[in-house]
Amino acid sequence: MGCPIFTAVVLTALVLLMPFTAKAQSCPSRSDWPTEAWPDRIQETATRKAAEIQALEDYAFTRIGKDEERLGVRTDGVVIIHNGAIVYERYVAPYGPEKRHIAWSVTKSVTSALTGLAVGRGAVSLDDSICDHLEIPKPESCQVKLGHLLVFSSGFDWTELYEDKSNQASSVLAMLYGEGRRDMARFVAEHRLRDTPGTTFMYSTGESLLLASAVQEGVQKTFQKGDTFPWEWLFDPIGMKTAVLEKDAKGHFKGGSHLFATPRDFARFGWLYLNDGCWAGQRLLPEGWVADSTTVSEPFRTASLDAGSEPQGRKWWLNRPVPEQGLPTRPWPDVPADAYAARGHWGQSVTVIPSLDVVVVRVADDREEGAFELNRFLSLALAIVEAP
Amino acid sequence: MKTWMTAGALGACLLVAACADPDAEQRTYANSDLELSPSYRAAEVCSCIFVMGQDEDFCNRWTVANPNVSTFRVDHEKKTVESSAFMMWGARAKFVDEKTGCVFED
Repeated sequence: MGCPIFTAVVLTALVLLMPFTAKAQSCPSRSDWPTEAWPDRIQETATRKAAEIQALEDYAFTRIGKDEERLGVRTDGVVIIHNGAIVYERYVAPYGPEKRHIAWSVTKSVTSALTGLAVGRGAVSLDDSICDHLEIPKPESCQVKLGHLLVFSSGFDWTELYEDKSNQASSVLAMLYGEGRRDMARFVAEHRLRDTPGTTFMYSTGESLLLASAVQEGVQKTFQKGDTFPWEWLFDPIGMKTAVLEKDAKGHFKGGSHLFATPRDFARFGWLYLNDGCWAGQRLLPEGWVADSTTVSEPFRTASLDAGSEPQGRKWWLNRPVPEQGLPTRPWPDVPADAYAARGHWGQSVTVIPSLDVVVVRVADDREEGAFELNRFLSLALAIVEAP
Repeated sequence: MKTWMTAGALGACLLVAACADPDAEQRTYANSDLELSPSYRAAEVCSCIFVMGQDEDFCNRWTVANPNVSTFRVDHEKKTVESSAFMMWGARAKFVDEKTGCVFED
């Protein structure tokens, strides 16, 4: 018979250690992490998959018309990651592996990640009102919570139009370049509430910026790291050394639109999500954050949608059918159902496909509406990584 | 000079009227294209040159907007971009550092 006190101490220690053991086990184990550099299998793939690469390039890299007309598919660069290595990479001059590209709305998915990091550290809660973190002159707007902003359901009367539509009707142009440009978060929050927060879905650059601003202030209040936390908690740990996240004149991150990085660094961000928010065995995003972010959001499933809306999670585009909203098929039918993407204006995308261990990054300058088809591009890209 | 400015202002007013979307039923903002264009140009040309590392010629083409009413001037030493439309509307952006990129100065 052993000593009962000793047994009790050992059992207690095991029980106390269990959560930590479980957490460590929940992160995928990989031998290499691309914090410094991506392993390179480009040449090997080029030899093995010449026909598939040609088909991808015929579609993605064939330009039409005069350069100044900006017609058709205008890819600036593609990076494909498979099993932790670069298997394909190509750029069109003047872009290259060292040149940053604008992410436009891919930034929104990064803001979603930054929100997760701040929630995980207790700096903010999704139940917080925006007024808990920002000076909002309109009391009505205090009904809006960070959780609403994360899934595009603030209810603000916002018009998400870009250039060449109706410039004076665009809330986005007014925020970035017009009357809102000096204090963008305030500009967004001064809009009237058209709907009760949480009851509608409307894609909005303003909401994403407002969320980034509130999170930034929350982190500043708790950790005094409002200006540095994106690098300290996200970009630096995953080796995203080229990340530039611009601010408005008030000092708030333009979290809906103005992240810049190289395609290889955007791939690192995708790789973080493919690995459930873990990097090099360490959990960066809270457990469950990636799963929640890549599940069709409640407002998208239940609220009335604008025509042409595609399934969204927490600022990620999802390859899921949503039959209850009249969307019975996946938006990218030739791509595995578990695919999800960060997407931006002019054709930017970071697509993550966990079942294939693949991340596909595309940076582009597509100005002709409807010219580029993500489904076709991804199906051609995936042919490169399929087993022979 | 005064005559030139008056002519410029008149031309600008005509341009604003011409650029208005007659079908727009939505709420509109007070910014005319003559305000939006130079501020778009200043911000994005600044980012294009100092963040993306591209040259002026590329950035000029990359930021062509409709209507294309603004011109810009780059100060590589101060890392600023000033843009204006008809010498009456303008904006200025400055590259701050490798994390913050470009910010409006005015």
